[in-house]
Amino acid sequence: MTAVPRLFSILRQGPYLIASVHTALDDSQLVRFQEDLVHRIGADRARGVVIDVAALDVLDSFGSRTLRDVAEMARLRGAVTVIVGIQPDVAFAMVELGMDTGSVLTALDLEEGLVELDRCVAAPPVVPT
Amino acid sequence: MTRNEDPIVTTAPMDVTRLLDEDDLLPQLVAHLREHRTRLRQEWAARIQQAHLLQAMTAQEMAAETTLVYDNYVEVLETGSVEALQDYARDLSERIIPRGVETHEVVGIVLLLRDVLARSLFEKFQRDLPLLNRVLDAYEPAANRIANTVAVSFVDERERVIRQQQDSIRELSTPVLPVRERLLILPIIGVLDRERARQVTVQLLGGIRKHRAKVVVVDITGVPDVDESVANHLVRTVDASRLMGASVIITGLSPEIAQTLVTIGVDLSKMNTIGDLQGGLEEAERLLGYTVTRSENGAGGP
Amino acid sequence: MPRVAAVEPVGTPGEESGPAGVADLIPLVRRIVAARVPDPATADDLVQETLARVLAAAERVEPGMLEPYAIVTARNVVASMWREQDRQRRHQHRVVDLRPPEAPDEDVLAAEDRAAVAEALTRLSDRERETLLAHEVSGQDTRSLAAELGSTAGAVAAQLNRTRARLRVEYLLVSERVEPPTERCRPVLLALSSGDRRRQREVDAARHLLECDVCARLSAPLLGRGRRARDDELRVPVRTDADIVAARQAARELATKLRFSPTDITLIATAVSEVTRNIVRFADSGEVVVAALEEPRCGISIVARDAGPGIPDVERALQDGYSTYQGLGLGLPGARRLMDEFAVVSETGRGTTVTMTKWRGDA
Repeated sequence: MTAVPRLFSILRQGPYLIASVHTALDDSQLVRFQEDLVHRIGADRARGVVIDVAALDVLDSFGSRTLRDVAEMARLRGAVTVIVGIQPDVAFAMVELGMDTGSVLTALDLEEGLVELDRCVAAPPVVPT
Repeated sequence: MTRNEDPIVTTAPMDVTRLLDEDDLLPQLVAHLREHRTRLRQEWAARIQQAHLLQAMTAQEMAAETTLVYDNYVEVLETGSVEALQDYARDLSERIIPRGVETHEVVGIVLLLRDVLARSLFEKFQRDLPLLNRVLDAYEPAANRIANTVAVSFVDERERVIRQQQDSIRELSTPVLPVRERLLILPIIGVLDRERARQVTVQLLGGIRKHRAKVVVVDITGVPDVDESVANHLVRTVDASRLMGASVIITGLSPEIAQTLVTIGVDLSKMNTIGDLQGGLEEAERLLGYTVTRSENGAGGP
Repeated sequence: MPRVAAVEPVGTPGEESGPAGVADLIPLVRRIVAARVPDPATADDLVQETLARVLAAAERVEPGMLEPYAIVTARNVVASMWREQDRQRRHQHRVVDLRPPEAPDEDVLAAEDRAAVAEALTRLSDRERETLLAHEVSGQDTRSLAAELGSTAGAVAAQLNRTRARLRVEYLLVSERVEPPTERCRPVLLALSSGDRRRQREVDAARHLLECDVCARLSAPLLGRGRRARDDELRVPVRTDADIVAARQAARELATKLRFSPTDITLIATAVSEVTRNIVRFADSGEVVVAALEEPRCGISIVARDAGPGIPDVERALQDGYSTYQGLGLGLPGARRLMDEFAVVSETGRGTTVTMTKWRGDA
């Protein structure tokens, strides 16, 4: 995974992890992303995760489901997840598709996501579940 | 070399040219119409006035336009080519459509001109009936073609204008207004059907990104008949905005209607609804972490 | 806005004599040529050629006979163009089907090739073979063949085309040393070889190619033959997860070219993603065909086809929440919401075809 351009990256910043998807991922790659990220949350004892999906041109049912699962697994490991960077057209397609998006925290971009994490982690999360 | 039109149909301009070659009728006819230009044009203008057409125009404009139409008309008879007339008709339409001139008026004046000219031909040739017949045979198809060209140009232009207006009305009817940093207001006025709801949502999502909005106040005071389908459209708008990290406050939903919606099973739990716009703005500022006092902050008020 | 095409002035009046007489023939010649040659550029060339010939002969032709002379000349010019094309087509067929070998062991291959052709020829009926050889090898033209056979030249030409199509199929079967595994194979290959789209639909060629590996392999050279690359249609074979991304990128590419709005493009890509995933999950393999539509207005059509187990209860599959894999149960019903038209045809044991359409909004 070193020579080829990385599909995604997971970086640590203080108590948080910043996971960025760099390109359109297929289903298997998404699953690997999910596994890697959940593993890192445990290994790093992260308190919060920002997942940046700005590079995704489509979030279909499988993609959304995967992100939702990541957030749920992270929660079980004690970390808050914020999804950032969903593009306007992608957001629109997601609701037209009929996705129930209720339980995941979202923010406009990475910067906002970190602010949101600070807010949730400082004051115990009011995450609707 | 440009390609000719449909190979099977012999087109009118060719007809005209052929007749011209054969018996010189049209040149005679054209010469006649040129010779009596002033009289015939005036007669035509008078008929237009009698018929109460083009009343949006002043007398001078009428004189100018009727002269131009007349000359174009005769030119088409002479050359058999409607190109110039088409351009002129389009140009004329562009000028008169904004003033409320209707299709029937434009068609009406061209038909009047056709009749005025036909009558004058009749007067000139009535002594020689076979000749009159041939003159009219030459004149009528060309005249009809002219009427057709003008009408089509006008309708095309009108459709274009209407489309343009619809676009701008659509834009205007869903203005996304940045009130202050991170706060947008979206007043929706008019019927919210599926297509409109999609436009509103797409526009709002673009606005959220552009203004980096955290909170959006959607005011639906101006939406008539808020029913289940409207509520479902709004739920989707709220959901999509939330995916971009913005909270939505819906204002202008009366308690009675809210009650009705809940009764018929619409899930309003995801919607933050507040009675009036003022209250919505206060809630928005609270979410954004501002403190407001109602009296001194003159924010909003429709 | 529809603008009427420029009307060309046809010979000005009063210039009746000399070359102007020829100019007057232009519409007539155009009509004759255009009725026979659909391509405007070619038609233009042929009109010019006809006029040049008429002009050269004008002085020899009796007055008043120029028009019939032009008619005859135009038809001759068109006919000779066809002969030319026909020759080219015959060569093209040789080049494509009996490709001259280029590899170092070309002698061996050539010999094998010849053997394969010979073998393939034996599989034709006597009459087919004789007619074909008379035409291709002895150079006998269709008219004299028709006279011998008591038929018409057109019928002979059509028969020759069918025979060539059959020969290509048999040649492929011989050279690949395979017997068609099912009785549907030959009709399908034949329909593909002759490039007959109507026939291809009748025998449901697309579906058969999904079901039959042999035909899928054999059809590659047949499909590539003589077919112009269509840029308004993209075909994506689907087997793995990665193909889902490829399919939606194909849809995105075409929708962009058709000037769909960015929002609609995303909706289309999402819908394609959903239906393609169904193929990967349930059917192992299939294909997605993305095509541009012009009638009744600009749109995009997506056909996702597989030869999987089929959906036993389509009605139920179209309801929200019905899902047998790790999705959200939104696959088909979700895709349906994103598109304007949506249809599922499924046959248990034979596979599923999802056809969906989106029209371009004309805002």
